[in-house]
Amino acid sequence: MEPIIKVENLWHIYPTGNVTALRDISLDINRGELVGVIGQNGSGKTTLVKQFVGLLKPTRGKVFIDGEDTAPLKVQELAAKVGYVYQNPNHQLFARTVQAELEFGPTNLGVPEDEVAERVEQAIEFFGLQDLRDLHPYRIGFPLRKLVGMASIYTMKPDIFILDEPTTGQDNVTTRKVYRLIGKLRDEGATVLCVAHDMILLAEVVERMLVMRDSELIMDGTPRQVFSNDEIMASTHLTPPQITSFSLRIRKDKQNLGDVVLSVNEMVKLATN
Amino acid sequence: MQGVVIPISMVPGNSTIHRMNPLPKLLWTIGILVISFSTRNIAVLGGAFFVGLLLVFYSRITKAYVKVAMILFPISLTLITLQSIAPAFPRPWTEIVGFGPFTIYQEGIYSGISLLLRIMAMTTWAMVTIMTSHPSDIFTSLKKIGMPYVLNFVFVMTLQLIPILQNEFGTVLNAQKSRAMKGSGFGAILPSMVPVFVGAIERVQQLSISLESRAFGSSGQKTSFRQVRMAFSDYFALLLGFIVTGAVTYWVIVDKSLDWSQSIVFSPAFAITLVLGATIGFFVFALFAIRAALKA
Repeated sequence: MEPIIKVENLWHIYPTGNVTALRDISLDINRGELVGVIGQNGSGKTTLVKQFVGLLKPTRGKVFIDGEDTAPLKVQELAAKVGYVYQNPNHQLFARTVQAELEFGPTNLGVPEDEVAERVEQAIEFFGLQDLRDLHPYRIGFPLRKLVGMASIYTMKPDIFILDEPTTGQDNVTTRKVYRLIGKLRDEGATVLCVAHDMILLAEVVERMLVMRDSELIMDGTPRQVFSNDEIMASTHLTPPQITSFSLRIRKDKQNLGDVVLSVNEMVKLATN
Repeated sequence: MQGVVIPISMVPGNSTIHRMNPLPKLLWTIGILVISFSTRNIAVLGGAFFVGLLLVFYSRITKAYVKVAMILFPISLTLITLQSIAPAFPRPWTEIVGFGPFTIYQEGIYSGISLLLRIMAMTTWAMVTIMTSHPSDIFTSLKKIGMPYVLNFVFVMTLQLIPILQNEFGTVLNAQKSRAMKGSGFGAILPSMVPVFVGAIERVQQLSISLESRAFGSSGQKTSFRQVRMAFSDYFALLLGFIVTGAVTYWVIVDKSLDWSQSIVFSPAFAITLVLGATIGFFVFALFAIRAALKA
């Protein structure tokens, strides 16, 4: 099966200051994968994912979305396939009501009126925004505003969702809700990429992790492989979730403890067995 | 986005103008302001504009200046169009030619050209000052001459907010493009303006809280981290600024022969070409500006 995102020897050099942000990145992401992109600030995560939606173009190399080279395509053209949810919802939202906000994307794509209405209803149901429909997006709290930002992309029905720090600034309830929603998006067949520093999200929700350091992709593996790689974790100054660290520590003495644990539930299961 | 960022902030450099104390530069700018509002003479205003351009080249800020001028000049061209048909001049007006439903007047053409030169002269000198001075140096220098601390701070913060808001606009524009925003007309820009204005208001509110929580507005003597000294050459430039401003202002007010509004006669062909050129120039610019803003 052809990968939905294919990156071939991608370089990106910002003209201002001649900064190399991506060095020779190659990777494939298959349809329906749930991928986390991690690394320190300035490692190239955002530069990489902005290539997928066409906000940045390769300096060298190629990026293909669903087999199509992104170089000649405009952001507006790629938007039908790739939805980019910004870290700060205030950058996205402008309309007078949540409903109008949700209608904006699909109407830009030329979706027929009745289908727009249907998609808006689906989004309101999916994200639990029933009580917010007629409110101004700036009059609702930040956590819910962030959900509206995600919902405004959901109505465009892209094949790929790119979520930039989806849980930053969220309270615990909304964070858990976001985890569930990401899983639901994948269940609906979408490919989801999360740029994140939230290690619990990465451990419990994503299935594959891309680790960036100094503009390079230094590891591509499952959360268990990444978190148990001491060298990678040390060199990127990343720390696994506490329960994973605990599991890694006790595995050093007891090799027969099985897989690295990624969640409290897994630890409970391991302990009770 | 980078294409629509207009850098109205300091351009790093090491020219004599960069090394100067900001005070003489501010005085020069105020001097040009005074002279510009004291005369309509196009030679004097054109001269001030020309000297401002020489300073731009000399300070090596041409690239940044051109980006600003590319926006400002076409907008200022509308003055020629509007003034030619409705001059800001005491009546009676001298008719040059009828142009469709409008009449183009001699005083209007003259007034339009002089207003255009006035704006370009003032902004060019202001750009030289802003683009060659660190905001903190301007702040410190103004404080030294007794400018109230609060006013001073407002002035400097305004300068610092401009590039921040420009970047914000770029980010917001990208966010709308990635929602397949339609690519034509003013309506396309609107979705980006709302978040930028809301963001600006929120930023100012947060800034005011942040300032208060760090003792902004407390009484007593304040110290300054950044020290700006006045060299002999700065005093000389300051003195020169005073003398030139005083002398030129006196001259343009006293010498009545500098009123060229009647002595320069514009032919009908020139008037129509100028008005059409200015109008087309503005609309072409508006089209390019919208296209540049929406370019993916």
